[in-house]
Amino acid sequence: MKTRFFRPFRPLDPHWSPLLTIGSFLLPLLLWAAFSYIPWLWHPYVKITDPGSLTFLQKNMLMKKADFNSANQKAIVEGKTPAKGIPANPIFLPAPHEVAIAFYKAFTTPPRRPGEPWLHESLWHSIQIIFWGFFYSSLIGLPLGILCGVYPPIARLTEPVIDFIRYMPAPAFGALAVAILGIYDAPKIAIIFIGTFFQQVLVIANTTRNVEYNLIEAALTLGTSQRQLLSRVVIPAIAPNLYQDMRILLGWAWTYLIVAEYIGASSGITFFINQQAKYRIYDNVYVAIIMIGIIGFVTDRVLDDLGKALFPWHFRDSRSIIGSFYNWLKPNYVPRNFPIRVPSSK
Amino acid sequence: MSSSPLPSYLEQSPEVAARFARIQQRPITLTVQNLSKTFTAPNTPPRLTLDNISFHVHHREFLCVLGPSGCGKSTLIRIIAGLEQASSGSVLLYNKPVQSPGPERGMVFQNYSLFPWLTVKENVMFGRTIAGIPDFLAEAEARQWLSLVGLADYENAYPHQLSGGMKQRVAIARALANKPRILLMDEPFAALDAQTRAQMQDYLLELWRKVDLTILFITHDFDEAIYLSDRILVLSANPGRIAEIIQNPVPRPRNRQQFTSPPFLATYNRLQELIHPVSLLQNPSNLSNIPRLTHTTDQVE
Ligand SMILES: Nc1ncnc2c1ncn2[C@@H]1O[C@H](COP(=O)(O)OP(=O)(O)O)[C@@H](O)[C@H]1O
Ligand SMILES: [Mg+2]
Repeated sequence: MKTRFFRPFRPLDPHWSPLLTIGSFLLPLLLWAAFSYIPWLWHPYVKITDPGSLTFLQKNMLMKKADFNSANQKAIVEGKTPAKGIPANPIFLPAPHEVAIAFYKAFTTPPRRPGEPWLHESLWHSIQIIFWGFFYSSLIGLPLGILCGVYPPIARLTEPVIDFIRYMPAPAFGALAVAILGIYDAPKIAIIFIGTFFQQVLVIANTTRNVEYNLIEAALTLGTSQRQLLSRVVIPAIAPNLYQDMRILLGWAWTYLIVAEYIGASSGITFFINQQAKYRIYDNVYVAIIMIGIIGFVTDRVLDDLGKALFPWHFRDSRSIIGSFYNWLKPNYVPRNFPIRVPSSK
Repeated sequence: MSSSPLPSYLEQSPEVAARFARIQQRPITLTVQNLSKTFTAPNTPPRLTLDNISFHVHHREFLCVLGPSGCGKSTLIRIIAGLEQASSGSVLLYNKPVQSPGPERGMVFQNYSLFPWLTVKENVMFGRTIAGIPDFLAEAEARQWLSLVGLADYENAYPHQLSGGMKQRVAIARALANKPRILLMDEPFAALDAQTRAQMQDYLLELWRKVDLTILFITHDFDEAIYLSDRILVLSANPGRIAEIIQNPVPRPRNRQQFTSPPFLATYNRLQELIHPVSLLQNPSNLSNIPRLTHTTDQVE
């Protein structure tokens, strides 16, 4: 039977899924390629290939199309040889192949000035800032959020003020952070912390509050004490949702990275991008931006897959690459947290 | 109520009468005394949901609580389980008042309420490990209970991989693993399809026969109440009051042929009288306001 492609809310036919995923990346890439390689699409500049008799021009110089045309017009009227040129895009829009080449070169070319970090060193520094900011935030935010969700008095005592502070943009604390914590990594970690923590407490508290109360009641009738309730029922019950929350919050932490790195002594990937822009190597700027995207995206995919392996009862029948790999490593051992085979009934 | 004379519409055979005499010899497991519950919610007037409920359950008795939807059946069983506080009155288990939930009162919910992160076996082990029993013992016990409910092969499955009937059997095994003094069941089979429900009823009777169980079973299904129970406590609605406690005249062992037997039908009719189900057909004025929207020659009957 032929299934319709556009069915509201119905799951997609599985063989379309990978195609569309590829398409989702290919489409913007094609658009970028079109603007880069089709001469009559946009190309507001002219790149001089032969200055002719126009002495104020140089080879490889970029010039606005209108200026170029009027200069040539004038030259023809005056009986001089006109300049020659090809349509070009502004320097801040390099073509895909230029960025691809820069991708390779950025990791193999040493920094222009000694003492400046390589691209991978910049990225690694940024990742560390994110990690520690998110780690410290979760260290306090996760337990506090859960307690807020479980105990209304704690929620009443903490949530209003957190709600208030949450509306103050994290970068606003930049100057204070530098004054208190110096100009190196500490204030940057603090900004990530401030950007994450207050949201985190509220989100985690909300997830905790949404625990299926039936399960709490069932546990109570089975003899669970108040103390056991938290560790034996509440936390396992909300664990898959907490995990999803943490994934999303980690994404938010990333969005604070650039601001954080501007604070104090500019560092990490932000410093790299600024330096490259200063040198007018825009290819490398794109490389750095795309690398941030790739790191974020890959982290998210891996965490997503890991989640499916850790919480098979929550993600039901979805396949996990990590989970399958784990089971393949230990085929004789069925760990409780990984997908299992259901025996057929007798 | 066991001391009151038999109503005339319930003709008990000598065997049934003898059974009830034996039941009354047994110790009293659960006593509910003058229990009332008023719900007070903001912006609504206080609502008397349960009004002065008193009854008791003997050891190894199967008591069904029957009543129309919304009459307070769940409220009653939740107060007995300790999940809700009574406004007045008391619940005694072997003469000890109960206030909060405890493992000596097992509860089976309509929506199963299995822990989705635990396998079937771990669900059954839950109450035991909570009580501090070492894992290997709890596991051995859980296996026994699971084979008793016919799910030995599924010990490593997760609840979401089971059918409704299987889930409810796991829930029963989980409650039984605590060896409760009384098993409280709140419409446990209401969400199941008719065939599965019939199987589960037979299965529960078999379990009750072979395991030391005292059961308080809530239902709104007349057939189910008559098929399972020793006595039927009929609640009327608004407020929930005891309309009558019927000593079920249908002899044991039960089988499905009894559904058309005279004592079964007499009990059924009595329940119908007590509960007054609102039937549209009994009152034609309820139907007359539907105008004919088809051609007069379109006769479906
Ligand atoms: N927590 C509550 N707050 C207010 N009213 C409630 C609450 N729980 C139950 N009720 C009311 O008590 C009545 C009986 O409910 P319930 O015991 O669930 O009935 P049943 O199980 O017989 O269908 C209903 O009218 C319901 O609206
Ligand atoms: Mg109910």
